[in-house]
Amino acid sequence: MDMEVSRSWRDPELWVKALPSVILQTTCFLAPLVMTFVLTFQKTQNFQLNWTWNLATWTDVFSKPHYWTILGHTLVMAVACVAVCIVIALPIAYGLATRFKRLDSEIKVLITFAFITDATLKTFGWVLFLDKKGAANYLLMQMGFPPETVAFLFTDWATLLGMVYNLLPFAIFTIYLSIDNIDRSLILAAYDAGAGKFRAFWEVTLPLSRPGIWAGSVLIFLLGVGVFLEPKVLGGGKSPMSAELIRQTFETRVNWPLGAALTLVLMAVAIFVVLLFSRVAGMRKAGQ
Amino acid sequence: MNHRFESALANVILYGAMAAVLVFFYIPIFTLIAFSFQEGRFLTLPFDGVSLKWYGALFKSGPALTALWNSTIIAAFATVIATSIGAMAAIVAVRYRFTGKRAFQGLAGAPLAFPQLLLGIVLLLWFSVLGRWFGFNTGLVTAIIGHIVYIAPFAMVIVAVQVYNFDPVLEDAARDCGASTWEVYRHVTIPLLWPGIFSAAIFAFLLSWGNFYITYSLAGSTRTIPTFIFSGIAVGSSPLYPAIATVVFIPGILLVVLANRFRPKAAATA
Repeated sequence: MDMEVSRSWRDPELWVKALPSVILQTTCFLAPLVMTFVLTFQKTQNFQLNWTWNLATWTDVFSKPHYWTILGHTLVMAVACVAVCIVIALPIAYGLATRFKRLDSEIKVLITFAFITDATLKTFGWVLFLDKKGAANYLLMQMGFPPETVAFLFTDWATLLGMVYNLLPFAIFTIYLSIDNIDRSLILAAYDAGAGKFRAFWEVTLPLSRPGIWAGSVLIFLLGVGVFLEPKVLGGGKSPMSAELIRQTFETRVNWPLGAALTLVLMAVAIFVVLLFSRVAGMRKAGQ
Repeated sequence: MNHRFESALANVILYGAMAAVLVFFYIPIFTLIAFSFQEGRFLTLPFDGVSLKWYGALFKSGPALTALWNSTIIAAFATVIATSIGAMAAIVAVRYRFTGKRAFQGLAGAPLAFPQLLLGIVLLLWFSVLGRWFGFNTGLVTAIIGHIVYIAPFAMVIVAVQVYNFDPVLEDAARDCGASTWEVYRHVTIPLLWPGIFSAAIFAFLLSWGNFYITYSLAGSTRTIPTFIFSGIAVGSSPLYPAIATVVFIPGILLVVLANRFRPKAAATA
């Protein structure tokens, strides 16, 4: 069904509706991005921005390995988060799309509510749960475990747990939409041809849900490189990630050009990684 | 492998994974609710006793109530404006064919894949520079603008789903019967898109209500519930914060249930 209607930009039906978004995103998204780029060529003096063009910030960025170590750590954490999220989300999304028909809407409400609840609160909740004297250790002690069995709060593992917790719903939603769109008769055909549940999943469902897996991975990766709450609150700020470094650069050091440059480097590297992976994935598909 | 055994195993994995993930999702939420009833000052177990006294303290705490009020104001404005902008963009992005369509879709949806903290920082730089030129400070208004930039694309995507299921012939029919452009919108387009717009509005409200990163960057000295709690975690907490959390959960669960109730009806009328 072709529902598209041709419209010219002179038609008020088009521009009246398009203009608010265009104005909003050019003045409050594109323009700030451009200005961030311009700022990287300026200087700060006595906590004041000084409009003099120079490359000092960029030579600083490229000469200090410290920034790049943190960036590498951030990328590793984001990739690990993507991997864990996809592995958990696959059975959940598959189950939501094919089973649980009766409880389907209740489960969706539960997941949506958990997803939409403020991340600060949930992250704080994890601290209370994982703390030395927190709920997890208390419950384990009641069951006879020694005190402080759960002791990974304020490590990278706690950060990863928080990231997976806060980003997992993105993978569940995108993969669910993908699996839900698969023609059921294809899977039934695989059963008729003698495939078991697992073989049918592996050879039919999984390849066909690739768009959802890909969309979820990209979204989680891009959001994952920008996390700040989890490393700060659950990781205890011990091994900072890029977002925390950037925040400190702005707030503590009040070095706007450097903060702007680090922001752009993070975004550029993140987008580069996404493009690289999509190239590799595209080549694999072409080779098959 | 035997097929029946395989089916049974698949069921165990699927039901087990679902149960495990639901428990995982609700661990921090129930932990917070439980700690809000702690009678003592400290957030450790075992409790000194069970009481509602921190809820009493919450409603007497000026800063907490101000934060609640600020959250509500920001969410109200952001919801109405972002949903309107997003709904219009959804019609444009799905229904119309025009030069620059891909560019429009990209621009209108771009903030979706941009880390929130970075969006907040980029906007903070922007408003700080503009503020110095035009003499204003970041505060409630800049926070609302930031929320709109972030939430309008979400609203667009949600309404777009409804636009896909919408038969444009209905609009043509109304027009053929002599309805003006405004009348077509008023009596045909908006009622038919309403379920999508309604879901988008609820989603928008919750995204704004629970937003930490953008508020943190853009609200200046204005505190909302999430930033108020963040500052509280840093200074050494009391059960006041879990109590706030529990109070904040209530509108969330009500709105999600409401949005879900609305959905089957939407399918029936469309």
